[in-house]
Amino acid sequence: MESDTVVRQRLDVDIACVGFGPASGGFLTTLSRGLADNPGEIQSAAVPGMPPQVVCYERADDLGFGVSGVVTKAEAIRETFPDLDPAAIPMAAPVTGEKVVYLLDPIGASRRGRAVRAADAVLRGLRFMLPVRDHALTLPFIPGFLRKDDGLVLGMGQFTQWVASGLMAEAQVQLWPGTPVAEPLIEDDAVVGVRLVDQGTNLAGEPEPGYLPGMDIGAALTVVADGPVGPIGRKLDERFGVPANHDRSDWAVGMKAVVDLPPDCALEPGTVLHTMGYPEPEIFGFLYVHSPGLASLGIFVPSSLDSPVRASYRYLQHWMRHPYLWKHLEGGRLRSWGAKSLQESGRQGEPHLVGDGYARIGEGSGSTNVLTNSGVDEAWATGVQLAEAVLELLREGAPFSRENLERTYVARRRGSALDRESTIAAKARVGFRRGFVRGVVGMGLAGMTRGRLHARVGSGPRIAGLAEHYKGRIPAEQIARIEAEASSSQRPLQDAYMDAAGWPAIPFDGELLVSQQDALLLGGKVQAPPGYADHVVVLDPAQCATCETHLCVNICSGQALTWDADRGVPLFEREKCVHCGACQWSCPAPREAGHDAAAIALEAGAGGLHSAEN
Amino acid sequence: MTDGFHVVVCASLVPDPIQTLEPVLAGGQPALKNEAMLPSVLDPWAACALYEAAHLAANAPGSKVWLVSLGPKAKLQQLMMQVAQKVPFELVALDGPASGFTDSFEVAAALAAAIEGIDGLDRSRMLLFGGCASASRDAGVTVQMVGERLGIHDQFFAVDELAVQGDGSIRVLERAEGGRYLASVCAGAPLVAAWATGSLPEPPNSPQVGMQNMRTIMPALAQAKPAALGGDGTTWLSAEVPQQRRETRIVKDSSADEIAQEIVDWIKG
Amino acid sequence: MDTILYLAHTEADGTLGKAAYEALTAAKTLAGELGGAFVAGLIGTDVSPAAGTLGVDKVLGVSGAEYAVSRYATDAAAAAALVEASGATTVVAAGTPRFSRALPGVAARLDGRIETHVTALAADGDAVQCERWFYRQRMVAKLSRAQRPWFLLTSAGAFEPAPAASGAASVEDVAVSLEAADLRTTVTGIEAAAAEAQTIRPDAELLLVAGAGWTKKQKDGTTHVKEASELVLGFLDRTKASLGSSKSLVDQGAEGAEVMSFMSHLNQVGQTGSTPRHRKGLATCCHGEEPHVVGWRFITERRAINLDASCGWAQGKADVLYVADAFEVMAKVNALLGADS
Repeated sequence: MESDTVVRQRLDVDIACVGFGPASGGFLTTLSRGLADNPGEIQSAAVPGMPPQVVCYERADDLGFGVSGVVTKAEAIRETFPDLDPAAIPMAAPVTGEKVVYLLDPIGASRRGRAVRAADAVLRGLRFMLPVRDHALTLPFIPGFLRKDDGLVLGMGQFTQWVASGLMAEAQVQLWPGTPVAEPLIEDDAVVGVRLVDQGTNLAGEPEPGYLPGMDIGAALTVVADGPVGPIGRKLDERFGVPANHDRSDWAVGMKAVVDLPPDCALEPGTVLHTMGYPEPEIFGFLYVHSPGLASLGIFVPSSLDSPVRASYRYLQHWMRHPYLWKHLEGGRLRSWGAKSLQESGRQGEPHLVGDGYARIGEGSGSTNVLTNSGVDEAWATGVQLAEAVLELLREGAPFSRENLERTYVARRRGSALDRESTIAAKARVGFRRGFVRGVVGMGLAGMTRGRLHARVGSGPRIAGLAEHYKGRIPAEQIARIEAEASSSQRPLQDAYMDAAGWPAIPFDGELLVSQQDALLLGGKVQAPPGYADHVVVLDPAQCATCETHLCVNICSGQALTWDADRGVPLFEREKCVHCGACQWSCPAPREAGHDAAAIALEAGAGGLHSAEN
Repeated sequence: MTDGFHVVVCASLVPDPIQTLEPVLAGGQPALKNEAMLPSVLDPWAACALYEAAHLAANAPGSKVWLVSLGPKAKLQQLMMQVAQKVPFELVALDGPASGFTDSFEVAAALAAAIEGIDGLDRSRMLLFGGCASASRDAGVTVQMVGERLGIHDQFFAVDELAVQGDGSIRVLERAEGGRYLASVCAGAPLVAAWATGSLPEPPNSPQVGMQNMRTIMPALAQAKPAALGGDGTTWLSAEVPQQRRETRIVKDSSADEIAQEIVDWIKG
Repeated sequence: MDTILYLAHTEADGTLGKAAYEALTAAKTLAGELGGAFVAGLIGTDVSPAAGTLGVDKVLGVSGAEYAVSRYATDAAAAAALVEASGATTVVAAGTPRFSRALPGVAARLDGRIETHVTALAADGDAVQCERWFYRQRMVAKLSRAQRPWFLLTSAGAFEPAPAASGAASVEDVAVSLEAADLRTTVTGIEAAAAEAQTIRPDAELLLVAGAGWTKKQKDGTTHVKEASELVLGFLDRTKASLGSSKSLVDQGAEGAEVMSFMSHLNQVGQTGSTPRHRKGLATCCHGEEPHVVGWRFITERRAINLDASCGWAQGKADVLYVADAFEVMAKVNALLGADS
């Protein structure tokens, strides 16, 4: 595939990890301790006489991967750190109170089906008897499967930084940010290492002066922890296939922010708030208070939201403006913003967990529990499981073959509580494909019956055309006019549709409510270091030419994709891409059986979000 | 001059300039709000100095590059993950605050003492490099003070080019007013160069360089001596971000002709 | 009670630059407020002509051919000698390139302290209060110090220049012993930056900032860099404005994208670039994000042209935002200006 004249340097290590997040954190911390406990016991095979060379490559500029708040039971994490003191980690706080709130629609623009509208009317009618205030109903109890008693709220960036400093202090493993991995190296159906991304190229990937071909890193074991949209995981799927019944069609964009709460805000650190029902019924929201006056918040815009116009950022702002939330947020200040994809298929989206020379951990391996909405602790647990397996194999002197990894890593994983829980969660969210009520009911059933009952629906493409989606709200001629006007003025389409559908304009205040481009710049501009190729690439322009919905453009979290009407393809601007990967899973191009074959792909790129406020 | 140079680069970390920065005055001492949480980068102009140093060293056989860095140890450790893959160097680390509100005199004293203690440093072949100002204190004085303490009286400020000539003398271009340069020639080392942006692009990441550097970086960090700062007699009266918020008039629906006329009237007015 | 030493160096033609007269105002005002002694010290080939413009009777001077040029070793020796001869405890001087290079080392030599980018000075009883800037012009602080000697370098444009007096002053020569080692550096001359056009004009009334939007794809899907260059250069020609840029535009050059060849990192305003002083500033095709806009700290009247009505300039950073296509507007502006000249 490559010209014979490209000479690549080569470096050999023992174990190469791709991606530094909670999964790698769990893996490297456990492995590091195992190696430090008995120094000299295990020798490097790659560099004789040295201890094992374990290297982790992370594509982002910094190890504090930029997307802010989570709430977690932290069971696996606390097993690794029994003396964990939240005060030692910036933005960490023990959970002090949880609420689940159903938000009614105070404006009337949200697309609620008859069942939901009926439910809303009942709630409004009964508001004097039920805890309905500020257009919201606080659930009088929290279903057990959602509760995070004794849990922690964390800032993901701060947590990963903290884990990283611990690793550096042990000095058993090396962490290299700013080093994106382009592809796995495969020989005879085995993964033998990774290849790093070329540097010193133009945007199309062609060599320029200063060209440095990405190094080949040989490794007996490649640990793939690059998340749900990571290119290495995807390439392994393409090369080795996926398990039968593998289904990865449920996704969400998590669009999040860190905010300074207004001075008079009474919310206590450790407050956990989950919302549903607004601005669209399918959109879930969260708000976690980390320290006095500091909160992370955001929404999840799911793929089951059958809207061809997915204005996530605008939805986030409308959500913040809901009276129930706005009473806490008005007068606050946006500190940072980001977005990430979440793989909502959980266990059903599991790829092959191991193969000759590789193992997969973390969200990209299907560890997220979509019923309890937790991924961090689960990812950490898979990392620990793999590390224990690796230590076992290193001590045996056994190779990292599929069989050996299955009997050590996969066996540990299957025998764990995590696996039991995620099997229950497996069908929990499927109901959302056929509507919000069905979805909630399905989740509730699954949760409360521990998976024995759940909603059943078929799969298949769901994206309605614009006219159908907005039937009854915006006439077809107006849609045509909006399209024409938007493409000539380069204004984002999303705003035009939201306006036409009855959503009021957002009153920017320059503090909390800012334009999307300002959000990209606030608290840390998107990095796009020079010398790298565009990392969002159109794989199949012919598909794009016939695309009517342009979903990738409409869902792009950073407005990095715009539509080139002349050439019929998306246009990509690196300086706005936050590497969320939503473009990839939103693409409606027909899928070939067995794996996702979108017309657009997220490859490995350096840069992206870079904010302290995580 | 065939034995190369000993290039000592003073460079520390600063909060990434694209972050939101706010001062707070606590206990009479100003600091940055949430400083511990802010991501750090290598001070931009000092980073240019480091890359120029490496370039010079690569072209003068027998040369060596040291990076002397004063900052909080944990943050220096993180910073090294970004910097260590760029160019080869040996780290000398000092554990102390890297705030822009620290006193340049004290910092210079600490740096000079650390440099005097470098094993194997040949002061007669030394080129002392640094940035012409930091993105934090932004005073543009520290490198000169370090040089003065080390007895170097050939100093250059806001350097964009430094070249060794055939006869061993060193030609330097310093930024002068109005986008021009002052050209000087120095007989040779030792000298001080406080760099502006220089002329080199940021080097790409090289895992090999990184792994090589890490072998000396980890021990250097472990042995980082605390820098004695804070004995200075400054009284801080205030520290703030000046609020400059204008009443912006947004002109939206005028024609290009109308706008152009308004602009021209303003320019001439 | 502080003794204030005002320190200045002559320019190549023996006169004092504007910055030196600004520092003179600062020094005299401070001395007046403190009620302490004021001494003037000059460095240059022949300081007598300049001495007469200071409005004082007597001046300390270090004169000689060695002090004709901007060089650390000789400037530092001269300044140190003047400080010692004057018995000064506080030194006020302009932050010219020559003094920015030399005076920090002098402060170290004399065990003193130094502040730069000083924009205000005041006396509070016996104490001297200084206002200076931090974090690339993003923050301002007021401080006073106990340690002496204390060097204060003033920022250009922060003080009103004192009118040049006419008359004569007696010059008391201060001896400086130079060694051979002080003359290892030879200044060979001034060189212009390797740019096609000289676009940086610190004394211009108007600053034009060209942002990354000029070189991006326009409505028709292609870039128009040649046209952009012509418009920008045409404007500079007609207005004699100074040209600034944003970091994004400067970085694009590093990335190998097609750029306007007459711009370099020297033009950059904000972030690691400069904070120029001009009465008026016009930002074109630039988003107006905070790190860039801090470089506009000393631009009094601000206007911007941008297609995005909610860009940073709209949020209180400019006086007027024209939501329009800069290519169209600037073409018409040039036509109107061209018609007049």
